[in-house]
Amino acid sequence: MPTITVLYFAAASTATGLTTEELPLPAPSESDNASCLPLSALADLLAARHPGTKLREVLAQSQWAVDEEMVDDPAQVDDPAQVVLRGGEEVAVICPVSGG
Amino acid sequence: MATAPSASVEARLDIPEGTCVLTYDPLDVQSIIHSVADDGAGATAVFIGTTRNSFKGKVVTRLDYQAYSKMAIKTMANILRDAHSRYTRSDHHTAPSDTKTSSLIKSAVHHRLGTVPVGEPSIVIAVSSPHRKEAFVACELILEEVKMKAQIWKREFYEGEREDEAEWKANTGH
Repeated sequence: MPTITVLYFAAASTATGLTTEELPLPAPSESDNASCLPLSALADLLAARHPGTKLREVLAQSQWAVDEEMVDDPAQVDDPAQVVLRGGEEVAVICPVSGG
Repeated sequence: MATAPSASVEARLDIPEGTCVLTYDPLDVQSIIHSVADDGAGATAVFIGTTRNSFKGKVVTRLDYQAYSKMAIKTMANILRDAHSRYTRSDHHTAPSDTKTSSLIKSAVHHRLGTVPVGEPSIVIAVSSPHRKEAFVACELILEEVKMKAQIWKREFYEGEREDEAEWKANTGH
């Protein structure tokens, strides 16, 4: 079964109590033979897996990184609504940063 | 302290423009300055960010840092490349074409991970250049870009408050 690896840092990690999570992708539908999950649907899926935590709020303020590329960067990849996960990706929750 | 993510590892990336480091060791400021030394440098600008003991009237006891290291180190390297390409000058010594060379010689940005006690450096940036103006400007640019873009997070702990309630900070541009 295809899975993605979700990485939690900072506030996302504090909210879930996890630093990483393997997420199985939804089973294939009739119209698509392969499992796939649009990135735009991931926040809801993760929030549902961690009810009663602040994860949903954290995700609302965060960006995604897929296989070490930031999403929401128009110069790099497509609109997040069009990024589709098919299994094997490393997806990180990038909360507002505070380095330096 | 909660376990740091396994992705928050030490990292080092050497590029032609300089060096980027993420480390759990205390930062050796003199060594970092020495790493950008060059006989052609008339100026070396250095920034040291240290853990301050207060935030909005509260006493800070320590800062904890973690990073998505494999992304953060690439982001830091891109910031150095960008700084070196922004500050260019025409090299009048090569004729006839006016080739652009960087006004900067070498840069280094080292960021510490884990607990950084009050008064200790969390980030050190060093930039060498023939002339002081570009060194100052580039050093500041690198700092502001790292604060805005690098996949690094800071958690602030206050005296008298529960550790598990310590906030993860967000850089808001100051």
